[in-house]
Amino acid sequence: MIEIDVPAADDMTQLGHRLADELAAGDVVLLGGDLGAGKTTLAQGVGDGLGVRGPITSPTFVLARVHPSLVEGPPMVHVDAYRLGGWDELEDIDLEATLDEAVTLIEWGEGVAEGLAGDRLEVHIDRGRGGDDNETRHVRLTGVGPRWDELRLRQLVLTS
Amino acid sequence: MTAPLILGIETSCDETGVGLVRGTTLLANAVASSVDEHVRFGGVVPEVASRAHLEAVVPTLHRALDEAQVGLDDVDAVAVTAGPGLAGALMVGVSAAKALAVALDKPLYGVNHLVGHVAAEQLENGPLTEPVVALLVSGGHTEILQVDDVATAAELLGQTIDDAAGEAFDKVARLIGLKYPGGPHIQRAAADGDPSAIRFPRGLTGQRDMARHRYDFSFSGLKTAVARWVETAERAGDPVPVGDVAAGFQEAVADVLTAKAVLACQERGISTMVLAGGVAANARLRELTQQRCEAAGIELRQPRFSLCTDNGAMIAALGAAVVERGLPPSRFEFGSDSSLPVTEVLI
Repeated sequence: MIEIDVPAADDMTQLGHRLADELAAGDVVLLGGDLGAGKTTLAQGVGDGLGVRGPITSPTFVLARVHPSLVEGPPMVHVDAYRLGGWDELEDIDLEATLDEAVTLIEWGEGVAEGLAGDRLEVHIDRGRGGDDNETRHVRLTGVGPRWDELRLRQLVLTS
Repeated sequence: MTAPLILGIETSCDETGVGLVRGTTLLANAVASSVDEHVRFGGVVPEVASRAHLEAVVPTLHRALDEAQVGLDDVDAVAVTAGPGLAGALMVGVSAAKALAVALDKPLYGVNHLVGHVAAEQLENGPLTEPVVALLVSGGHTEILQVDDVATAAELLGQTIDDAAGEAFDKVARLIGLKYPGGPHIQRAAADGDPSAIRFPRGLTGQRDMARHRYDFSFSGLKTAVARWVETAERAGDPVPVGDVAAGFQEAVADVLTAKAVLACQERGISTMVLAGGVAANARLRELTQQRCEAAGIELRQPRFSLCTDNGAMIAALGAAVVERGLPPSRFEFGSDSSLPVTEVLI
C-alpha cells in the first residue's frame, strides 16, 4: 500500500494522467472516498491520459458510461456504484461484457465491486476534515493481485 | 384545415409519457412515473426503469387516447424520443413507436429529447419566435442550448462538466439528512432558512474558467463545500442549520444557472429564453430567472410544470413541428442513441 498527498485538483488530474500510463485493457480500478473527495476529478485525469472521448462527467445518473478511445487505445468504462444495492445490481449492468477490452473505473466500488476482478487497483481518497481551505487530499493506493505489485505502485508515485 | 394529429412517446428516463398534439395545441399528456420504485435507490436505476416502461406504455397510451377523445385510427404520425437518455429505457419507447407506426401504417419520426423540452413551450404560449436560448435543468441534464429553428437547428452552448444540477440537489439533500428526491425537500427546508447566511461557491465563474467554460457549469465543488461546512459544524458540536444550508445551496445553484443563461442571451443577441426540465419546478430558480430576464429585457417563456418534466406531449409537439416543415420521416431501422447530440433534432 502506498499513500500520497495530493495538494490540489490539478494535481489529482496529474495523478490520473500517471495512472493512465500504467493502465491497459482489462484493468479494473476501484475509486473510493466521500462525496466531493475528488473521484470524478481523478477519473477525468485518467480519461484524459488514456485519450478517450469526453466529457467525463459524473456517471451517478446513468450508472455506467463508455468512453471510446480517440487514439486507438482501450475504451474507458466509467461506472458509479453509488446507487447500487450490492453485487447483484452491479451484475445487472453487465460490466463483464466490456471488462477484457476496456479500462474499467468504478466509483463507490468499495465493498461492492471486488468480485469483478482478482487483479485490481484500489484507490481511496480522503478529504481533510473540516472547513479550512486546505484542499489537500490523502490518496491511498492498494494493489490486489500480481498485476499490481508494490514496485509498480511506487513508480507511479515516484514519477510525480 | 386542421393540423395533423401527432402521437408522441417519451421513455428516456423514468417517466413513461404519451402525448397527443395538433400543431401547437395540446390534446393529451398522460404520464406514468416509476419514481416510487426508485426512491429506494436515491435515483433512477436503468433496469428498473426499463421494466416499468414496458409495463406502463400501453396503459399510458390508452389514457392519452381517452383524454384526447380520439382513436388510434385518427393518428396521422408517430414521434418518439430517440435520445439522449438511458439506453434500455429509450429502447422500450422506440420499439413501441415502431410497432404502432407499422400497425397504423403511418410515418415515424425519431426526435431529440432535449429539443423536445423546448418544443413543449409552444403548447403553452404558442409558436416560438426563434432564435431562443434554452436553459434545461433536470436530474440528468444541465444544458444551455441555442435553438435557431425548433424543427431543424439546435446547438449546445454549454453543459455541466461534472454533476447535473438535479443530481447536486439529491446529493446535498443526503448530506443534510433530507430525503430523495432532493429538489422538493431542499426547497421546503430552504423556505425556513436565510439564503445569505452561508455563501457557497459558484462553480466556473472565475475569470480563468469563464474563458474556457463560459457557458458550462460545475456543481462538484459546491457539493464538496456543503460537505465541508456540515462537517465543521458537526465537529464543533453545533446543530446543523438545515434551512440555512439548503437556502444557501439553492441560491448558489439558481445564481450560476440564471447568470450564465442570461449572459448567453446577451452575448448572442437573443431576446427570448425558455426554461425547462424538472429542476425548473424550483420556485427560487423560476423567480430569479424571471427577475434577471426582466432586468435584461429578455422575454422568459416557461411551460407549466407538467410540460417541464419529461412527458410525451413535448415529443408530439416536436413531431408536429417537424411534420409541419414537411421533413422526411426517420428511416425505419433507426435505433435509440443514448448520447444523441442536440444538433440532431430528427434522426
